[in-house]
Amino acid sequence: MKSSHLNPTFSELSNISFRTDFEGGGPALTVKLVWDWRFARVYDENGDVVDECIWVGNRTPDTLANRLALLMRGRMTLEAQTLADRFPDCIACPSIEVSSWPELDTDESVLLQDASVKLAERGVSESASDPDYRLEHLVQATEEMRSAHNTLESRVVEWAGIFLPSLDIDQHRSRIASAISNSTSLQEIGESLDTIPAEAQIGPKEWSAIHSLAASTVKLATDMDRMEESVRELSEIHLPSLSLLLGPLLAAKLCSTAHGRARLARLPASTIQVLGAEKSFFMHLRQGTPSPKHGHIFQHSWVCRSPKWTRGAIARMLAAKAAIAIRVDHFGGKPWTSKQVSDIEKKVGEIRARKSKR
Amino acid sequence: MHVRARGDSVKSFSDRVEIRGRSLWSRNAVKGVSLRGERLKRDGRKEWRQWNPRASKLGAALLKASQSGLLPEHGSTCLYLGSGHGTTISHLHDHVCGSKNHLNGTIVSVDISSRCMRDMIRLTKTRPGIIPVLADCRQVQEITPFLSRRVPWLFQDVSQSGQVEMFIEACNRFLEENGTGLLSLKSASERDTQSAFVHAETALLEAGFTLVEKIDLAGWEEQHVLFHVVK
Repeated sequence: MKSSHLNPTFSELSNISFRTDFEGGGPALTVKLVWDWRFARVYDENGDVVDECIWVGNRTPDTLANRLALLMRGRMTLEAQTLADRFPDCIACPSIEVSSWPELDTDESVLLQDASVKLAERGVSESASDPDYRLEHLVQATEEMRSAHNTLESRVVEWAGIFLPSLDIDQHRSRIASAISNSTSLQEIGESLDTIPAEAQIGPKEWSAIHSLAASTVKLATDMDRMEESVRELSEIHLPSLSLLLGPLLAAKLCSTAHGRARLARLPASTIQVLGAEKSFFMHLRQGTPSPKHGHIFQHSWVCRSPKWTRGAIARMLAAKAAIAIRVDHFGGKPWTSKQVSDIEKKVGEIRARKSKR
Repeated sequence: MHVRARGDSVKSFSDRVEIRGRSLWSRNAVKGVSLRGERLKRDGRKEWRQWNPRASKLGAALLKASQSGLLPEHGSTCLYLGSGHGTTISHLHDHVCGSKNHLNGTIVSVDISSRCMRDMIRLTKTRPGIIPVLADCRQVQEITPFLSRRVPWLFQDVSQSGQVEMFIEACNRFLEENGTGLLSLKSASERDTQSAFVHAETALLEAGFTLVEKIDLAGWEEQHVLFHVVK
């Protein structure tokens, strides 16, 4: 057995690709090149070791983690490359197939463990840089805040309505919470909303309760705006074309419903069309109810502001364009400009015109 | 001295895992620490940790199996695909590695989710012997660097479509001759829910495995079957 201790430089680490044809028949060339993170070996047809090259670098969890990352991508170690250069005709073979391959000793298995933890930690922290995860949290949080805001606001409105009997609640709905939070007494609310409050007596404790509920409703609304700003910002970076076509909020919502940009980019347009309408879609499949014509995409003004009988066709066309836009975003195409969007708007007009003639 | 309640039948899988009465216990490798609020029980110098069959399909299978050979040997190398948050892994560690890994076992636990991997990494801090791998189980090349030879025991629980093919591929690549392969199959993960189990069984037999037992986990996990095969 010949051992060679090399001190390789990094320039030698060229992109030699991994040969995977070890299972193919081929000629009776049975010189096998086998490697793992510790060393590489060349075996002849009798299973004897012909040559060996050992990793002599500094063995720390970090350096081993780098090595393992390299191997996970199917690449060769430096030692394997050195031997591959020495034996150009050898066939790569996974170490797991060689029964005489030495087991790890205690030090080595401890090192492998530490390195694998390092590598996994790296992977976990890399996932923080994935905008998909962040976008998903932003979108979900916005949704939750919106539903919380709606619940609280309607409570404030109904509660305050008792004390403001002559006020048209529905008309002033959006102003009531802020009016209460900006006032210090029932009288003051009456003035700011231009109405006469009821005679009922309201104690200071009850007043402070209703006041703080109104204040938190108002705060929730501003928080929600801030959240939406953030969604817009991230969405315009992560999904530029789709944001331009559908608006950043709707684009972000589609992306989070599809569980990430990579998955959204692989969905067919017909699925994008009904994304967000899962309930009626599966009702359609199971019970044969009419199929949904639009999911989240309904929120786009081209769909929801169109006459009812044209919406299906517009949603279908828009979903098809959205599918193209998201693929442009995901697979690194040239981001769309307003030109493409205005072309699509023209098509929307055509569909509306065509459908109205009938 | 610990006095056992009368009529408490004991079935031992090894000196580290046993069924007492109706509940399953593993010998806690990290004394005093209960991972997800499992009950701990002292028995002289030993401490036992309850293995919840609702949180672990392997645990449920141990309670329902009629054939032996579900668990690996002490100190062996195990490959666990789809480790999740590490509940089962912790009990497997109790069995294979023991306290401070004095049994010299290795558990290579693979999962694709970075959220789950966080919990796994935390687990490895107190339980040496576990190798966490953040990788896609379908990509065999991502797992190979962590194994120096074929493993005698392989468990797969991934709940994805095409999991039977994944299992067969993984066994062909990683499992040694006469090794134990366990496949936890969730029928709802497959397109065709009705015949998923029948298809899986034929596919496993066609791939040349010997089916030791088909364990229906009903009662603990609905619509789950654990296939116990030997290569």
